[in-house]
Amino acid sequence: MSPVTTTLTCIACPIGCALRLTHEGRDIVELAGATCDRGAKYAAEELVDPRRQLSTTVAVEGARVRRLPVKATRPVPRDRVLEAVARIHRLRVRAPVRSGQVLVEDLLGEPGLAVVATRSLGRVGP
Amino acid sequence: MLGRMEGDYDVVVVGGGPAGLAAAIGARDAGAARVLVVDREDEAGGILLQCIHAGFGLHYFQEELTGPEYAERFVARALDRDIDVVCSAYVSGAGLDSDGTRRVRVMREGHGIRTARSRAMVLAMGCRERTRGAVHIPGTRPAGVLTAGLAQRFVNVMGLLPGRRVAILGSGDIGLIMARRLTLEGCEVVGVFELMPFSNGLTRNVVQCLRDFGIPLHLSTTVVEIHGRDRVEKITVAPVGADLAPDLARRWQVPCDTLLLSIGLVPENELSQALGVELDVVTQGPRVSSTLETSLPGVFACGNVLHVHDLCDYVTEEALLAGRFAGELAGGVKRPRDNIRVVPGDNVRYCVPHTLAPGREHTVYLRCQRPLRPAAIRVGDLVRRKLGFVTPAEMITFRIKPDVLDRFHGEARRIDLLGEPAGAHLAGAEP
Ligand SMILES: Cc1cc2nc3c(=O)[nH]c(=O)nc-3n(C[C@H](O)[C@H](O)[C@H](O)COP(=O)(O)OP(=O)(O)OC[C@H]3O[C@@H](n4cnc5c(N)ncnc54)[C@H](O)[C@@H]3O)c2cc1C
Ligand code: SF4
Repeated sequence: MSPVTTTLTCIACPIGCALRLTHEGRDIVELAGATCDRGAKYAAEELVDPRRQLSTTVAVEGARVRRLPVKATRPVPRDRVLEAVARIHRLRVRAPVRSGQVLVEDLLGEPGLAVVATRSLGRVGP
Repeated sequence: MLGRMEGDYDVVVVGGGPAGLAAAIGARDAGAARVLVVDREDEAGGILLQCIHAGFGLHYFQEELTGPEYAERFVARALDRDIDVVCSAYVSGAGLDSDGTRRVRVMREGHGIRTARSRAMVLAMGCRERTRGAVHIPGTRPAGVLTAGLAQRFVNVMGLLPGRRVAILGSGDIGLIMARRLTLEGCEVVGVFELMPFSNGLTRNVVQCLRDFGIPLHLSTTVVEIHGRDRVEKITVAPVGADLAPDLARRWQVPCDTLLLSIGLVPENELSQALGVELDVVTQGPRVSSTLETSLPGVFACGNVLHVHDLCDYVTEEALLAGRFAGELAGGVKRPRDNIRVVPGDNVRYCVPHTLAPGREHTVYLRCQRPLRPAAIRVGDLVRRKLGFVTPAEMITFRIKPDVLDRFHGEARRIDLLGEPAGAHLAGAEP
């Protein structure tokens, strides 16, 4: 496999160094542009397994508001964010619900990657 | 207790967002027995209830929480301390009795107008967003032009989508976060247009909210016209020169049905002004002493009503202090007046608080005018500290130790930010 060069912006701190990394598959051959060690760590993570925090809302019935905010308890693979959201958006929740209540146990089939409510909503009406 | 409002209070807090809740807790912990929080929404929590993304609490709870989680913890803490919290209630003014107590006028749904007597008051009304009128965009007046924060409330609380094809003016964090949020909800975000040559939002948000989804960020570009009769049909955008004037010869059109504005926040100080509180022309919030007391004795201010914060954790930190000083004042503690003025110097847009007192440690919040790297902060000619990187998007927190103030003479301390101008290294498209 021949080396490939990619550019990334480091987000480990607000400076946002432009990182230029040359890699063969998952091995970084050369890294330029990082001003500190955290840049190297970030580049390695972004290259091997980029993940993102995910939060969205789902429909809720019987509460004062129509949307219940939820989050994934662990970062989700970046390239599967839209897939994860599509799965979460199929949920229908009925109040009452408690903040932290588990709504999905293994998102994307990953054990331990749960979706939980991030707000408590009491029941109103029938 | 939720919904209870009776008798006299030591401290009345106006606004039940993170600032108001923390101020109430600070006051209670400083010994104030009777504390009341009044919020006009039907639930306490403020803007946090619509900020469903993570990023709150890293400083305060050492844990990354979403806005609603952060709010819920603070509401629980306030209720645990037997603080009275009333919602759907609006503070419309306050009078002053001859003995120095204030009569706070509260209009409450289903209860009419009531007056609460209080020894001290904390203003924590938050801020509101700048609207189209603030930047005078020419064109028609169709539906579909709204602020990013309003869209956030529509989507995250009310379950309504503002449109399908969305353009965003301004690269503040709320706009960036909404770009991602609307993308996840199935909208097409056609681009973010930023007047300045740098993003006003955090790098992390530019990367994770725009680049991850291939949303272009056009720096040094602005919207010069809005088209559409009943509904937005398209916008005209143009690059701007160094003088920020648009170059109309290079304008182009962008079809869209919605334009979100993320062009800045303004502290909400109508009540403060009605009370007669003196405001700072730069922050548009009250001028405050080192105890966060405004020009009116016994009236304190904290959170976004004082100056716009980017991080909620700093709001909490500041509000706990404001509440503590309000609680102490209500308990009869008297402090000498501050005798040192803080003067914003080179590349400093503003500093809060406006005055300091010797003999105590202070936290000074400031914002720079331009990005600098490496940067250093200089206080008078005695203290100089390296800061690394500063940008207008991020508030700078600086602690001043008591001995430093004691070494100075004179009545004013000038604060400068020095350093090399940092370039606009963070463009939207990958280099
Ligand atoms: C749209 C938006 C999005 C944001 N996103 C983020 C983010 O992602 N991360 C982050 O760290 N920070 C974010 N911030 C900033 C953060 O939310 C604020 O730092 C924080 O919420 C400010 O707290 P506050 O209590 O000062 O104001 P607010 O949360 O605005 O609370 C003020 C409260 O006062 C009430 N009020 C006002 N006037 C009266 C009156 N006369 N009588 C009774 N009640 C009154 C209002 O209803 C409101 O509930 C955002 C701010 C906005 C505006
Ligand atoms: S490489 Fe280091 S200095 Fe540069 S952005 Fe990343 S963390 Fe900051």
